Amino acid sequence: MDVFGSFALILAFVCAVYAFVGGIAAIITRHPLLIKSARQAGIAVCGLIFTATLSLVYLFFTDNYSVAYVVSHSNRDLSTFFKVAALWSGQEGSLLFWSFLLAIYVVSVLLTYRNKNGELMPYVGVILAGVQLFFLTISNFVASPFKVLGVANAAGNFNLVARADGNGLNPVLQYPEMVIHPPNLYSGYTGFTIPFAFALAALLARYPGEKWIHLTRKWTMIAWCFQTMGILLGAHWAYAVLGWGGYWGWDPVENASLLPWLTGTAFLHSVMMQEKRGMMKVWNVWLVFITFMLCILGTLLTRSGVVSSVHAFAQSSIGSWFVGFLCIVIGVCLAAYFKNKDYLKSENQLDSLVSRESSFLFNNLVLLVACVAVLSGTLFPVFSEWFTGSRISVGAPFFNKVNIPLGLMLMFLTGVGPLLAWRKTSTDSMRRNFQGPVTAGLVGGVLLFIFGVREMFSLICFTLCIFVTATIVQEFYRGARVVRIRSGVSWLASCVDLTLRNTRRYGGYIVHVGMVMIFIGLAGQAFNKEVEKELPIGSTISIGKYDLLLQSMDRKQEKNYVADRMIVEVMKDQKPVMMLYPERRNFPTNQESGTMVAIYSTLKEDLYVVYAGMNPQTNLPTVHAFINPLVKWVWWGGMVVVMGTIVALVPNRAAVVVLARAEAPSGARELSGMRPAQVTLREGQINS
Amino acid sequence: MKNCTRIAAGILFACVALLPPGATPLLADQTDRTHQIGSKIKCMCNGCDQAAGKCYHVGGAYSGPCDTAKTMLKEIDTHIAAGMNDQQVLDAMIKQYGPLAYVEPPKTGFGLLAWLMPILYLLGGLALVVVVMKRWRKRPVVVASAVGANGVHVSPELLARARAQAQRETEE
Repeated sequence: MDVFGSFALILAFVCAVYAFVGGIAAIITRHPLLIKSARQAGIAVCGLIFTATLSLVYLFFTDNYSVAYVVSHSNRDLSTFFKVAALWSGQEGSLLFWSFLLAIYVVSVLLTYRNKNGELMPYVGVILAGVQLFFLTISNFVASPFKVLGVANAAGNFNLVARADGNGLNPVLQYPEMVIHPPNLYSGYTGFTIPFAFALAALLARYPGEKWIHLTRKWTMIAWCFQTMGILLGAHWAYAVLGWGGYWGWDPVENASLLPWLTGTAFLHSVMMQEKRGMMKVWNVWLVFITFMLCILGTLLTRSGVVSSVHAFAQSSIGSWFVGFLCIVIGVCLAAYFKNKDYLKSENQLDSLVSRESSFLFNNLVLLVACVAVLSGTLFPVFSEWFTGSRISVGAPFFNKVNIPLGLMLMFLTGVGPLLAWRKTSTDSMRRNFQGPVTAGLVGGVLLFIFGVREMFSLICFTLCIFVTATIVQEFYRGARVVRIRSGVSWLASCVDLTLRNTRRYGGYIVHVGMVMIFIGLAGQAFNKEVEKELPIGSTISIGKYDLLLQSMDRKQEKNYVADRMIVEVMKDQKPVMMLYPERRNFPTNQESGTMVAIYSTLKEDLYVVYAGMNPQTNLPTVHAFINPLVKWVWWGGMVVVMGTIVALVPNRAAVVVLARAEAPSGARELSGMRPAQVTLREGQINS
Repeated sequence: MKNCTRIAAGILFACVALLPPGATPLLADQTDRTHQIGSKIKCMCNGCDQAAGKCYHVGGAYSGPCDTAKTMLKEIDTHIAAGMNDQQVLDAMIKQYGPLAYVEPPKTGFGLLAWLMPILYLLGGLALVVVVMKRWRKRPVVVASAVGANGVHVSPELLARARAQAQRETEE
């Protein structure tokens, strides 16, 4: 099966070369057969990548320890569930997995648009084939997952050998989240290839209008949604497994995943400027280019070892390949831009500074500043070494100090944006729109201050969160009231109806609600408490309102590890609340150990208990307990964000209500033939 | 009074220095201060990437401060016992371990650049936004023609009428 997989991978490379070169020839000659064959070669590439990936999974399932990658990342006792995760737990497998996910996107695009957009698709096919070609080059010639073990004999030839068992999977990866976190994150990274391909193709082909934006909107949202889920699942894994009490440590690899998310978020907002007003065309194209470049840069940071990171499991010297690829991408993007930049001229002017357009501009500014600040902070140790000869570390406190104010600005704009109309907002309209939300925010802030919230940034954050929530509630209320008056249904049914009529707008608001919840959770960090203590059996440790009584300890033998477990009774106000079982897992195969945190989670706070191990000096068990307020809001907020994105992806149920009441019959007839995107002219202006 | 403090600190430092390792008696408030200062210095074990005062050492047999972090905390204790203030302790630790021991860049020398960069990005971005807005406000309007799904050309007057109608019908 290793030969089969290897063969599929090399055949995929050959097909990708054809799809790329044949595609370029097809663009030049415009020969229909050549166009078709290049597209079919592109589809074949995907099929062959699927075959190679399934071959590697099969090698894991059948415990084939003649393959070096399987030996390094699996063992016989590893459960089937984690043998799937072993596929992406190392360098070679994760790169093949990257190609696999990209192939899913590519084949979906090639099949969806096989008979549409004839002018654009050959360009798209060539760009996608180019990206696939790069990853297939790496997987075939630099980091092949199908390398077999061998020993040299006396004649200088290699004899194949097989090991009896493998080295096992990295213990920190043996948790359910690690089975779903990387696929989500990689789906985000690879998904941004699609808008990149369409944007570059539209620029190269001088494709008319905003068609590429309409075509890629869903793909961008899907990629963004996966990226969001990937980041949050990674954060949850860090929280539940690593045992340091937090979920975001500003590690370079965490930062690398955040960068394309920030630019992707900026794009999802600024794209509306182009759709509705024909503005920011250059900006949008470059945002998509930069997002894709940041995905490649993120991969480079994860794998090159340029910056030190706890995600060291996939580091090697392949960074130079990514640097080369990144340079080619930048070169191609610059060349395409300078050749065809006249095609990107804006169609409209800015009517007023107090408008939705301005709020989008500032939203993009803050997101981009945050992105560049995180990027430069991440790379600062490298810069300092270049210029001064010694590395200066940049840790979490720096990133917190820089990003907290930017996050607050963003939250402010999240509230302000929906209250401003496109083109121009009158003073009357502003007063009417802002009155309620601003009052709610201020009253909420004052009440929080009276009830003892004194941390400045948290207080501002909570106040802004109330303001934004009030904004969204007001938007739903006003829209639902119109529906309710017309149809006479309940408030809930009106809200659902309203949302289904304009899924993008109201799905967007649901995403904003999710972001508010995440920000509430983040603001809670200012009130964290922690205590660490050696705890003989029968003794108690106190934190906040909780008393933790160590009742006993036990040991359980599992298939792949031995777990030492604390049995802790949690009491609140002298009354038993629940039992917690924090444990340490020792993996004999690779002589490593890990923690399994016990968490008692409520909306108000998490009681987070870690069994730190036996203190080697005193031989007493040590407990590390934390009170982490509002953490649950982060995870629930993430779910709401995903839900909102799914809503926004659903097509509108009844796109054009206003057309049914057109005043001029002839105009109504003419308008009824228009596309929904052209007739939802007043989106976001219900009250202006 | 100042001399007395110095003498007392010197005696305390001598006592601490003479004690065998691992038996350093620490006052409760001193321990807290040690951890507080330790949270501003990186653990130099090259394994955890955490602050010395908050080293939890993922993957180790014990999720507490590793040996390197413990050594660093003891050194901080020693400096405190010698009467140094927080900044002096930090300076002494950086002198010993180099700039890689910073948890956040210093606000002097090259490290200052790290702090200035985000401010410069924000100011530069703001300037750019202002320039873009000014240009947009001066730009003549290019009237985009709209085409219906059936290929019928839609005139700007009709679009304006549709906008007005949509506005009326979506108002309260």
